[in-house]
Amino acid sequence: MRRERLQGAGLDLALPYLLLAPAVLIVLAVLVYPLWDGLRASLMFYRYGKPIDFVGLDNYIQLWTDDQFLNSLWVTVRFVFFSVAIETILGLALALFCLREFYGIRLLRTILIIPMVITPVVVAIVFRLIYASDAGMLTAFSEAMGGGQVQILGDPLKAFIGLVALDVWEWTPLMFLILLAGLQSLPQEPFEAARVDGAGPWRTFVDHTLPMLKPVLAIAIVLRTIDCFGTFDQVFVLTRGGPGEATRLVSIFGYDTAFKFQQTGYASALFVTVGLIILAFALFAVRMLKRAGPE
Amino acid sequence: MNNNWRLSLARAAVFVVILGIVLLPIYWMVAASFKSNPEITQDATLYPHVWTLDNYIRLFSEKEFANYLTNSLVATVVSVVLALIVGSLGAYAIARFHLKYRLERKIGLSLLTLRIVPPVVILIPVYLLMLSLKLLDTWLGLIITYTAFNITFCVWMMESFFREIPVDLEEAAMVDGDSRFNAFRRIALPLAAPGLAATAIFAVIVTFNEFLFALALTATPKAMTMPRGTATLIGRIDTDWASMSAAGVIGAAPIVIFALLVQRHLVRGLTMGAVK
Repeated sequence: MRRERLQGAGLDLALPYLLLAPAVLIVLAVLVYPLWDGLRASLMFYRYGKPIDFVGLDNYIQLWTDDQFLNSLWVTVRFVFFSVAIETILGLALALFCLREFYGIRLLRTILIIPMVITPVVVAIVFRLIYASDAGMLTAFSEAMGGGQVQILGDPLKAFIGLVALDVWEWTPLMFLILLAGLQSLPQEPFEAARVDGAGPWRTFVDHTLPMLKPVLAIAIVLRTIDCFGTFDQVFVLTRGGPGEATRLVSIFGYDTAFKFQQTGYASALFVTVGLIILAFALFAVRMLKRAGPE
Repeated sequence: MNNNWRLSLARAAVFVVILGIVLLPIYWMVAASFKSNPEITQDATLYPHVWTLDNYIRLFSEKEFANYLTNSLVATVVSVVLALIVGSLGAYAIARFHLKYRLERKIGLSLLTLRIVPPVVILIPVYLLMLSLKLLDTWLGLIITYTAFNITFCVWMMESFFREIPVDLEEAAMVDGDSRFNAFRRIALPLAAPGLAATAIFAVIVTFNEFLFALALTATPKAMTMPRGTATLIGRIDTDWASMSAAGVIGAAPIVIFALLVQRHLVRGLTMGAVK
């Protein structure tokens, strides 16, 4: 009897480790080991995909004098900034608009799920069919109104705007859903007090809604920013980075460096650098959130 | 009264505009998939004047889309099921036990950190790993990769669901003679079922849609997934808009239909994960 209990206790002591082991082992083997391996590869010089020489930090130093890398980083930062800013503003406006239940809101929510769940590759196809100069929706509309062909993907600036538009179409619904949930969870008393005081809708928004919504808003922006920084699929199919380097995000440049030009070490250094930038941003954001949290 | 009426009208207008912006682009692709190429490029019709199913038939007879679909389903289902099992066990340990050195917290945080780093960062080493294991262009290579990614997600989601379940219930079961593991299996797991559903649904959507790793790890129709196959086709045909549209519709249809069927869980899981 006593021994049975002891055995039970022994097994129970080991239980949490047994429960955690499979998850930890798989993640170590498939995600953490490659991370380490990538770090090692980033210190090597590769030719035709084969490691030739240990070069220390040369790859990292070379990155910061590589115009193509710096340009791709700049394109990415601009892309993330404009996309996330527009998505946040539109998502917030839409959430405020939908805060009061009205006829059709369920349908609206259902419809808004579609852009988020459609395969990103297919989102890119959808937008190629919109932008195509011969068969595109924009051209069709323009011709229907007596205009000519619309050229989007051949022009650097328009292609960039076109890419931002794609991202806004795809991800504003996510912002909307998060912010709507945030708005619905706000306490009602301050709003009633504001109404009693005779505050207008704009004052109420600035004085009450925005400050109380800040934590949710910040989390949504941080999540979206990090995700947006890694965008790849849509660009790969829509523009392949072109025309020129106008839409070549850092992910596309890294992919080409690794798989098209077989510079494995250099590409590894690039991705390690990108990972560090994102991690630094995430840590910074978490710290800001913690500081802003207890008001 | 008059003001109220005007507000409703404004609402209706915004509502219609949003519907149009979301649905028109999709409509354009679906409509094009039923047209012939000349009708698309020369006539630029707003709807198919001559309906045809040729574009779809070609995808399956000439373009191996049936293979892509099978590969996608296998990779998605197997990796999500594995990750749910392994991830729930781990999440339960993190939610319920206190280990030495707060080990469970550290593991939880590490998994979350891995989740935050965009997958593209470890693309090259994962590719090299699969190359050395001779798992390039196989189901197994994809399944291993997707399972690992899904585990980080499942642990993170399931941990919060387990924390919401009062621990008293499991303690009561143990007083009644259940072992620690049986208390988990008989009490906590069934109570976390809605969480499991929400997690599974999300993982299915993300995995089915995954493109980057499929691009690097597969090369032939033997293992190519739906997004991978679709993108390859697009690369080859360039201006065959009719085939491209049909490929887009077939590529997205399974996951969109799935998402709309389970949308209640989807919205719940989505906002919970983010707002928490």
